[in-house]
Amino acid sequence: MRRRMRGIAVSAIALTSVLSMAACAKDTGGSSNAGSGNTAGDGCTLAAAPPAAPATSSSDDASAKVDGSALKVGLAYDIGGRGDASFNDSAAAGLDKAVAELGVKKENVKELTAAPNEAEDAKQTRLRQLAGEGFSPIIGVGFAYAESFKVIAPEFPDTKFGIVDATVEGAPNVTPLVFAEEQGSFLAGVIAAYQSKSCHVGFIGGVETPLIGKFQAGFDQGAKKAAPEIQIEDKYLTPAGDFSGFQDPAKGQEAAKGQIDSGADVLYHAAGASGKGVFSAAKEADVKAIGVDSDQYNQETVSNEKDVIVSSMLKRVDVAVFDYIEAVAANNLSSLPAVFDLKVDGVGYSTSGGKIDDKLKTVLEGYKAQIISGEITVSATP
Amino acid sequence: MSTTSTNPSTAPLTVPPAKRKRKLPGWSTAMIGVAGAIVLLSTTSYLTGFPQLTSTGTWQTALRLALPILLAGLGGLWAERAGVVNIGLEGMMIMGTWGAAWAGYQWGPWAALVSAAVFGALGGLLHAIATVTFGVNHIVSGVAINLLGAGLTKYLSTLIFYPLSNNPRESPAVPKFDTYSAAGLSDWLGDLEAQQRVGISDVAGILRGITTGVSPLTMIAIVLVPATFLVLWRTRFGLRLRSCGENPVAAESLGVNVYLYKYTAVIISGALAGIGGAALVLNPGQPGYLEGQTGGRGYIGLAAMIFGNWRPGGLLGGAALFGYVDGLQLRSGGKTVLALFYGAVLLLAVIVVVQLVRKKWFSAAFAIVGAAILYFVYFSLDELPSELTAYAPHLVTLVVLAVASQRLRAPAADGVIYRRGQGD
Repeated sequence: MRRRMRGIAVSAIALTSVLSMAACAKDTGGSSNAGSGNTAGDGCTLAAAPPAAPATSSSDDASAKVDGSALKVGLAYDIGGRGDASFNDSAAAGLDKAVAELGVKKENVKELTAAPNEAEDAKQTRLRQLAGEGFSPIIGVGFAYAESFKVIAPEFPDTKFGIVDATVEGAPNVTPLVFAEEQGSFLAGVIAAYQSKSCHVGFIGGVETPLIGKFQAGFDQGAKKAAPEIQIEDKYLTPAGDFSGFQDPAKGQEAAKGQIDSGADVLYHAAGASGKGVFSAAKEADVKAIGVDSDQYNQETVSNEKDVIVSSMLKRVDVAVFDYIEAVAANNLSSLPAVFDLKVDGVGYSTSGGKIDDKLKTVLEGYKAQIISGEITVSATP
Repeated sequence: MSTTSTNPSTAPLTVPPAKRKRKLPGWSTAMIGVAGAIVLLSTTSYLTGFPQLTSTGTWQTALRLALPILLAGLGGLWAERAGVVNIGLEGMMIMGTWGAAWAGYQWGPWAALVSAAVFGALGGLLHAIATVTFGVNHIVSGVAINLLGAGLTKYLSTLIFYPLSNNPRESPAVPKFDTYSAAGLSDWLGDLEAQQRVGISDVAGILRGITTGVSPLTMIAIVLVPATFLVLWRTRFGLRLRSCGENPVAAESLGVNVYLYKYTAVIISGALAGIGGAALVLNPGQPGYLEGQTGGRGYIGLAAMIFGNWRPGGLLGGAALFGYVDGLQLRSGGKTVLALFYGAVLLLAVIVVVQLVRKKWFSAAFAIVGAAILYFVYFSLDELPSELTAYAPHLVTLVVLAVASQRLRAPAADGVIYRRGQGD
């Protein structure tokens, strides 16, 4: 009997502690972002627009025609390959341009594609196969090839390698083709801030890598610069190491819906094929989206959703690939820029669809001029 | 009150133990569980100030994400109940996605559904031939089917989709099902949810989430759960099928054609996994087939099935849990998932009280320690690191499996190779 009494006493104490515990939730909870940003209205109070850019004299230097007919060009794509409607396609466009303009022979071109979450030695095998068959230059599309180049480049010292999105230390025959994504994304952030009605925008990254971090960093800085009070949602679909985030539209859609529900009305994605989900969520909710890498407004795979795409951050992988092949053909690799940035039109924004009016265009050109002149420095880390 | 009755050790051993109270039927314990989960979530949502925990959008997302997992899990259930381990669910699902896209873009979503089931069933047939007729190790055959599914669809989509979509890894856009909402009810619930009243709004949000924008595929998948239960546990066919998974030799001695039942079960299993693939292709978020879009959901379906103790109801719970946590982290990110930690602390606190009342000091102490750790994590962090949130569903499943695994029971002859006449 007494034992039972004691049991009841203990449980009564426990019960009261549970009840007191219930009062111990943090007050700093999420009530602030509970849809409060959804004050659909007149948009942000915008910062003063930058001075208009001086008229630029486009220096079309029309260099001497380079003959690339002797080249054997190998291209190793990242996950997605030709037809991903994103940056692999952009690389393919550069190659196609080289075939058309430099006289590279079609039979001297070989393209191989990576599989999702494949082993490191699968990449090495791919590169070794290309190099062994005598291809030079060989271009690895994507930072995923960086480790493999460290192994393969010393094995074939006479072969010229190029790698998109990465730098390979200690391998003189590997030319890095890197971009200033943060600069292009800065302009995307400005566009988002000007287009947002609720002063609330969102960024969706595919995989949380330093590369995608550059997109986020630039976007956040641009949006904040144009509208200092703007609210920004950031979301990565998968953490570093799990590359399925570039390949999962269902996740892209759900993440986009979450951001839209919390009040964002312009979404910028850097998520490869998952971006299709972002566009369809934007279309369903009637908000706007900004594409990435290539001009997504004109892409067939997202043609159903193209009216939500106000612009795309252009990362001209095609320019880099073409310039690189051209430089190899002319045997003048030093002519390549160290970074493909706004200055050399390695990054930029698209205006297809007519959603960017002239006023906004002037503002964008103003910011662009300030970035090129160094007046604004865009940090590459969020 | 005499001393003998309070001290059991002195009582005569022949006295039968006190008759336990009549157990509640399964459906009512499930109902109590669901009600408890809702109370827990709405309390958490109220106390932490995260309405997203019970918002319509979150539950819609959860439903969409849970669907393929649920279907794959049901597929696994059918096969394993007949004694065949089906690790090949992922491969059958991949074949289902391709089949759905191939028929879907030409003849619409219903054709996609049927075609996905057929393609999945073909994978199942292959698995049945290998494991039942030829006695191949179930795991080996399953892994082979996963590889085959990925390779075959790669080949087929290069062959058929490439000319249409200019991309060998993607199909042309597939038309989707129309979605249905419970007319009137949905708006009324929406009003209730918007008022943000404690409890009521949470329930309204959850109900609205699962009654708004529902596609026929969702309805079919949900109906398949009780249907599976009825067929497997309430019919003669089901009893015989399960007997093949528990003791095929005994089943054979009673005149059951074990091979036939195993074949049927594995083919149905493949068809269900295929429909799971169709659920991905017909998801409104994407145009159609995309290489690698299953992303291991077949394996997760298998985990959900084990989580659910090889029972349809438990499997539904596992799939829902996975879909919910995944949806939450995708939509709202680390802060909201952290709020779930607080919910877990509350849950553990309730468990502590229950264990104290039952005088199970050890497990109570264990739960107190667990609650303290979780509360510390909750209190010291502002936002769960993104590396953790992305794997929150996996972690939750792992924790639940770790806690519950001692009470799980697989079919006795699951994965055991059986030859006809081996009992003689």
